[in-house]
Amino acid sequence: MITHNSQSPLSADDGSAAPCGSVLVCGAGIAGIQASLDLSAAGFHVYLVEQSPTIGGMMAQLDKTFPTGDCATCTISPKLVACMRDLNIDVMPMADVVKLDGQAGNFKAQVQIRPRSVDAHKCTGCGDCVDLCPVRNVPGTVEAFKPSMPPTTVQADVLADSLLRHGEDSSSLIPVLQDISENCGYLPRAVLETLSSRIDVPLAEILRVTSFYNSFTLEPVGRHIVEVCLGTACFVRGSGMLLERLAEAVGVAPEGGTDKDMRFTLRTVRCIGCCALAPAMRIDGVTFGKMKLDKVADILERFE
Amino acid sequence: MSARIRTSQDLDALGAAGAATLYPDRLKILIGAASCGLAAGAAEVEAAAIQAVKELKLDAVVARTGCIGFCQREPLVDVVQPGGPRLSFGNMTAANVRKLLKGYAETGQLPAEMALCRFQSEQNVPQGQTHTYAVGANGAGKVPEWTALDFYSQQHRVILRNCGSISPLSLAEAVARGAYRGALRALTQMTPEGVVKELLGAGLRGRGGAGFPTGRKWDFARRRQADEKFMICNADEGDPGAFMDRSIMEGDPHAVLEGLIIGAHTIGSHRAFIYVRSEYPLAVSTMRHAIAQAQAHGLLGKDIFGTGFDLTVEIRKGAGAFVCGEETALIASLESRSGEPRSRPPYPANSGLWGKPTVINNVKTLSSVGAIMARGAAWYAGCGSEGNRGTTVFSLVGAVKNTGLVEVPLGITLKEMIYRIGGGAATHRPIKAVQTGGPSGGCIPASMLDLPVDYEKLAAAGSMMGSGGMIVIDSGTCMVDLARFFLTFTAEESCGKCAPCREGTKHMLRILTRICNGQATPADVGTLEQLAATVKSASLCGLGGTAPNPVLTALRYFRDEFDAHVRDHRCPAGVCRSLTTFVIDAKACIGCGLCKKVCAVKAIAGDAKSPHRIDAKTCTRCGACRSVCPVEAVVPEA
Repeated sequence: MITHNSQSPLSADDGSAAPCGSVLVCGAGIAGIQASLDLSAAGFHVYLVEQSPTIGGMMAQLDKTFPTGDCATCTISPKLVACMRDLNIDVMPMADVVKLDGQAGNFKAQVQIRPRSVDAHKCTGCGDCVDLCPVRNVPGTVEAFKPSMPPTTVQADVLADSLLRHGEDSSSLIPVLQDISENCGYLPRAVLETLSSRIDVPLAEILRVTSFYNSFTLEPVGRHIVEVCLGTACFVRGSGMLLERLAEAVGVAPEGGTDKDMRFTLRTVRCIGCCALAPAMRIDGVTFGKMKLDKVADILERFE
Repeated sequence: MSARIRTSQDLDALGAAGAATLYPDRLKILIGAASCGLAAGAAEVEAAAIQAVKELKLDAVVARTGCIGFCQREPLVDVVQPGGPRLSFGNMTAANVRKLLKGYAETGQLPAEMALCRFQSEQNVPQGQTHTYAVGANGAGKVPEWTALDFYSQQHRVILRNCGSISPLSLAEAVARGAYRGALRALTQMTPEGVVKELLGAGLRGRGGAGFPTGRKWDFARRRQADEKFMICNADEGDPGAFMDRSIMEGDPHAVLEGLIIGAHTIGSHRAFIYVRSEYPLAVSTMRHAIAQAQAHGLLGKDIFGTGFDLTVEIRKGAGAFVCGEETALIASLESRSGEPRSRPPYPANSGLWGKPTVINNVKTLSSVGAIMARGAAWYAGCGSEGNRGTTVFSLVGAVKNTGLVEVPLGITLKEMIYRIGGGAATHRPIKAVQTGGPSGGCIPASMLDLPVDYEKLAAAGSMMGSGGMIVIDSGTCMVDLARFFLTFTAEESCGKCAPCREGTKHMLRILTRICNGQATPADVGTLEQLAATVKSASLCGLGGTAPNPVLTALRYFRDEFDAHVRDHRCPAGVCRSLTTFVIDAKACIGCGLCKKVCAVKAIAGDAKSPHRIDAKTCTRCGACRSVCPVEAVVPEA
């Protein structure tokens, strides 16, 4: 049984140009629900159209909301209930707006409700039919993540080798990222996507880890890595000046970066433990202690 | 060689083999080649030494060792002549070492006048034995004994017992100097309860900075029933200005492993981790090598010392996050999550790595354990002061003459550290403060240098022991700028989990930047103080809880500098750019032209041997000219 006639257009048009008394809200996420509730309170009749079988949208799937860290469910559940109970709101899930005519203040919309083959008034939502269905019509299954691009052969080898050594599960994420970083110089997107599907960690979580730790970078780096120590001892012995001078010599912004010829990548590190030789810097792992500003050009010359 | 070690006789045999390479009967050239030595050019010196030995056809061995701590004089080369003492030569270059060996080849004697100091004897600390060198001839006796140098005079080396003497890659040499004697005793002759009792008797407290009694920590984990427990060595030495953990791992890796074995056996763990910063590649490779050696000799793996106790040790590299030095963040990182701390309790000793009881100890703590087990609690408690037993390592750096690693008994005064060991100010600029505890610690003013260095006294002064960084600051450093430096660090390294730290440090940094730029009002200073108190009391973990310390101590002891910035729009140290104009003192200038050469914007003009001038309009106030001036003629305008 279908409660609404799926073919009959819902008319919001009484023929006059004056604003009419009903409103159509598309999408029953938190914004749509709140809009419907406000409109209902203001005395409008609301048709709330939602394409999925349930209302609530993304927020109903979240734990906390940014930036306040409030509990998402605590915010949205009272609104879901209010929305369903409101006599002024017609909730229309599994429906699509197929046609829209008219102008502001006077629209004519055609909404098609997809067949659900379940009498919504009698259904208790027990879920037994889902379990018993022989063709497994599981609603709302998310498709498995598929990498959008394949890594290069070299990158794929690095990844395969690293996964072999550290094991193919989520606890080896950081060691594997370190291997990729060491061999490729940075973390190429294609490798991360493949890694995500291999160890079953969402790409978002991998990106969270990579952006948390300083030693990971998502951008390609130059042929030589110049690292200026910004430890306290280096700082009091003038590493700020050293950084400035290096940035100028390499041709990048004062806070570091890669020059356009991809020769040098300049970045800062938190103490390389050569405090007694402050100020210190490191190029491709070779440390230079007691740096003087006038030595900068000579040292950079050595790295082509 | 890789026979399994089960008994003290096995250790004796391996030790004898080690002693043969440690004290060979031919010329031995020992290169200090830890990261710091290599940065100073030890690799070139080593290559020159090997070349010279080959060319001069000397019967000699060239070996690498760790860092002895006197970083100021690096690269250090020690030479032992058969029938002579060990002579230490500082500030070596490839040319120097060639000259030295050529002289030896011609005369058969080392040029004693070039030597920095002499080692007449060396201690095997865990076994309480002394190796004495022969006095030797030709003036070697006139070279000062190393303990007579101010730098070494107050030192008492327990943690650094083998750094700079043994080859870090040789298990035999480590055993010759008493390694694994403590582990043997703890595993074969003592019960876990006995080990805890011994540690409590020794009074060993965590050297990571918080100072929690190690024995008690181990006891909590020991009492806990669980199918699996973990032992972790925290080598994520994040404090800028501290590098002793690196030095220990690069110089005496077996001391760390011995501590892990004893700890794991005591709490009943069979899997240990060493969490090392990725910024320390040499420490990682040295530790890896040591683990492989220990495994080959049965000191790790199955059935250690024939007791049926198994232990594997794995190395995990950090990924560059300061907060991962905090134990719960470290655990998160080991589990391959982003390193965010969580609130305690539960403490890791109850629920740590993968929810199992876990003990996390600092490198220095673990290195002390082996010696304590070998020599006993009474011996260890014999130095230090009441409640602060034993020794700890400081990295004495900054504006002092002698920089390096120093190991001293707790309770020594700051004055002795800075003026005796450190040799006082490096330049003519007077020392005005000392900063301890890194970004979590504070600045102690010069007027309070009589303060003894222990956990409680430093905390009372508003600073903390921390991981042992000790940075000496002279009048050329602006305290507001320094506070801003530390806040920049903590604001960047704040993981963002809790609001007081994430937002508070950022706003404090904003205010400090305004003060440095001369845009602050007196009200800002009050807000800063208020914010600092809030961040300190409301943050989730140690990072936020201690982040305001540099600001609070700067406000407490150097209020006048804040006032000068805010009220008079003047930076007394001449560091804050918007508040400083550099001028060249025409009377002092010798016209050497160094400043003109170093200036990036060509703001300095002047003929050779006549006073130079700075064009204030072009000058970017970078201070480069000031740093190169040999006569301190570049000064901030009063």
